Amino acid sequence: MSEEGKELFEKVKEKVDRLKENTLEKQFSDFWKMACYAKYRSYEKPLQYADSVNDYIEKNKEELTQMREKFVQNIDSYVETCIKRLEKKKFRVYYAKTNEEAHEIFLKELGDNKILYKSKSNQAKDLGLIDLCKENNIEIKETDLGDVLVQLFDYKLPSYQVGPGVHFKVEDIVAKIKEKYGVELIPEPAEIVKYFRNTYRKELLNDVKVSLTSANAIAAEEGCVVLLENEGNISLITRATEKHIVAVGITKLVPTVFDALLVTKMVERTNNADLAYISLIYGPSGTSDVAGTAVKGMYGAKEVVVILVDDWRTKAIHENLFYKELVNCISCKTCNFVCTASRAFGNVYASKYGLGALAIIKDYIHNGIEAAVADGLFLCTGCENCSNWCPAGVNLADIMRQLKKEATEKDICPPYLKEYKDKIFRDKNPFQ
Amino acid sequence: MTKLIYLGCLSSSKYKETCENAMKIIKFLDDKFVTLENPPCCGALSYHLASDEELKSHVTFVNEWFKEHEVTEIVTICAGCYNYLSHYYKKFIPGFNIKVRHLLQLMAQPDNILKLNLKHQGKKITVNYHDACHLRNADIPIIEEPRKILNSIEGIQLKEMENREKLSICCGAGGGVYSIFKENSDYNALAIFKQGKGRALLTACPFCYTALKRIQNNKENKVKKPVIKFEDFIVKIMDGVDPIN
Repeated sequence: MSEEGKELFEKVKEKVDRLKENTLEKQFSDFWKMACYAKYRSYEKPLQYADSVNDYIEKNKEELTQMREKFVQNIDSYVETCIKRLEKKKFRVYYAKTNEEAHEIFLKELGDNKILYKSKSNQAKDLGLIDLCKENNIEIKETDLGDVLVQLFDYKLPSYQVGPGVHFKVEDIVAKIKEKYGVELIPEPAEIVKYFRNTYRKELLNDVKVSLTSANAIAAEEGCVVLLENEGNISLITRATEKHIVAVGITKLVPTVFDALLVTKMVERTNNADLAYISLIYGPSGTSDVAGTAVKGMYGAKEVVVILVDDWRTKAIHENLFYKELVNCISCKTCNFVCTASRAFGNVYASKYGLGALAIIKDYIHNGIEAAVADGLFLCTGCENCSNWCPAGVNLADIMRQLKKEATEKDICPPYLKEYKDKIFRDKNPFQ
Repeated sequence: MTKLIYLGCLSSSKYKETCENAMKIIKFLDDKFVTLENPPCCGALSYHLASDEELKSHVTFVNEWFKEHEVTEIVTICAGCYNYLSHYYKKFIPGFNIKVRHLLQLMAQPDNILKLNLKHQGKKITVNYHDACHLRNADIPIIEEPRKILNSIEGIQLKEMENREKLSICCGAGGGVYSIFKENSDYNALAIFKQGKGRALLTACPFCYTALKRIQNNKENKVKKPVIKFEDFIVKIMDGVDPIN
C-alpha cells in the first residue's frame, strides 16, 4: 500500500469523524438526512400534479434519453447551428475550447466591472468562474436567497445545490443579520424573506450592470436560452441589467425549444420544487417603436453574451472516455437524494463542485484521481441507485466503478479494501 | 454432472443455520443438488476494485474448480454470488454455460411453488420484503420471484414498501465500505425499517441481513420489526412453526 493511499484514507477518515462532533458537517448532515428521507419517499406520491414523480419519469424517460443521445451523436453540428442561430438573434456568442479560454473571454466581457450579480449556477463552479472571480478581486453578489445566506455565513463547505442555505437555522440567520446589518428581525422565515425583498430587491432592480447565469438548456435550432427558477432573481438579473452573461458547458445544448422544456420540466418534477418561472430568452431587449428603427436595450438587457465551453466534453465523446455519459446529465440532482453514501455522509461525500458522485466525478475530470479519492470515492457502496433513478439514463455507477479501478491500479485505494481484495484472490475467501 | 448448492462465503462463514435451511429447501425441491467441500469465493466483492486481468484470472480459477467437479448447474443463496456469477463469468469466460440461479428463482418456478404448497397456520402475518441491490441490479433481475413466492403462501400477506423493486433503498453494506464505515448503514438500513407496515422484514441477501440485523439489535434505534432471512422464514413455515418469532 502506497503512502499516498494511506494519507488519502486518513483524510477521508478525518472528514467522516467530523460527523461525530458538533461541526458544520454534522449540522449539514442532520438536515440532509431529513431532506433525503422526505425526498426519497415523495417520489412515489402525487403531490403538486396528478401523477407521481416516478410516473412522470417513467412516461418521459425514453423521450429524454433518446433526445440526449441524438444530441450527443451530433454534438459538433448542434454547436455550429446553435452559434449561428444565437448570432442571428443578436446574442454575442463565444465558443471556448477550454475553461482557460472561457476565463479570458469572461474577463474581457466583464471589463472594468468589479461587481458581478449571479444566479445559482453549478456550471460556474464547473467552468472555474468562481475561483477566477476570487483571483481577480471581482465581488460576486449572489442573488438566490440560499446562496445569499451561504455568503452571509461565509459557508465554505459543499452545500445542497437546489437550496444552498436551507440547512441554516432560522435563529442563526436572524443572529447573523443582526451581526452584519444591525437589524433585529423576528425569527420567522417570512420575516427574513421580507427583509431581503425590501432591501436587496431594490438593488437588483436598479444597480445591476453585469449579471451571470447558466442555463437549464439552450435550444440550438431556435437560439433560445431557457432558465428555470422560483424566486424571480433570474427574471430580475436577466432583465434589469446592462449585460447578461450566460456561461455554460456545451452539453446544456438541446435540439429544440420543446426539448429544452422537457429538460426543465424533468428538473422541476424530479426536485418536487415549487417553481414559478421559466424564462425563454431569445436575445437582448429591443424596440422598433421609434420611427421603425430597431434599437437594442429597451427595458431589458442591452447585451446578452453566451459563452459555450467545451473543455472535457467533446473529448469525452470523440475519444469514447469512460465518463462520456456525463454529457447526457440534465443536472436534476436526483442522484444525490437516492445515493446511499450521499444520504449518509452529506457534504463529507462531496467536492468543491457540489454533493455526491456527480461532483466527485467532476473533481476527477478537473483535478485527477487523487482528488476523487480524497473526496470520498470509496464511500460509494456501488448500490447503483444513481443509475437506476437517473431520468436521463446516465450510468453514473459504472463511471464510479471505473474510478475505483483506476485508484486501485494507482495503489491509492483504502488499505482495508486492498486487504479485502487480496484475501479473495489469495485465500479464495474474504471472511476466513 | 454436478448440481451445486453454492452457499457463498458470508453465509457459510457466519450463517450456518441459514445454510442448513437453504439446503433443506433446495433438496426438497430437487434432491440431486449437493454441496462440495471448500468452494472458492466467486470474487463478487472485488468487482469494483480489481483490474479486468485480475478478475479474469480469479474467475478462470473458480471456473476450473467448477470443471474439475463437473458442475453443470448452480443454485446460490447469496445475492452477491448470483449477481457476479451471472454477469462476470459470462463476460470473462467465452462459452461459460453453467446454469446459475438464485434460490428465489428455483422456488418461484410454478411447479416448485405447487410442490412447496406453503401454508401458515394461525393468524395472518404481514411482511415486508427488501429488494437487495445485488438482486435487483443483476443481468436478469430478481424482483418478481420473491413476490410470487410470498403471495403464494396462505396466511402471509406481503406489504410493499414505498421504495421497492429497482428503486429500493440500499442497506449500506455494499462496496466493502461497511467493514470500516458504518454510517452508510446506520442511516440507510434504519430508513428501510421505517418503510411499510409489516410485522417482519424479509431479505434474501446475507449482506443486507448483516446490516439490518445490526440496526435491529441496537436498542437506541427502537426497531421492533425483526429482520428475517428468506430461507429461515420459509423453513419455519414448512415446519409449521411461527415464522417471525
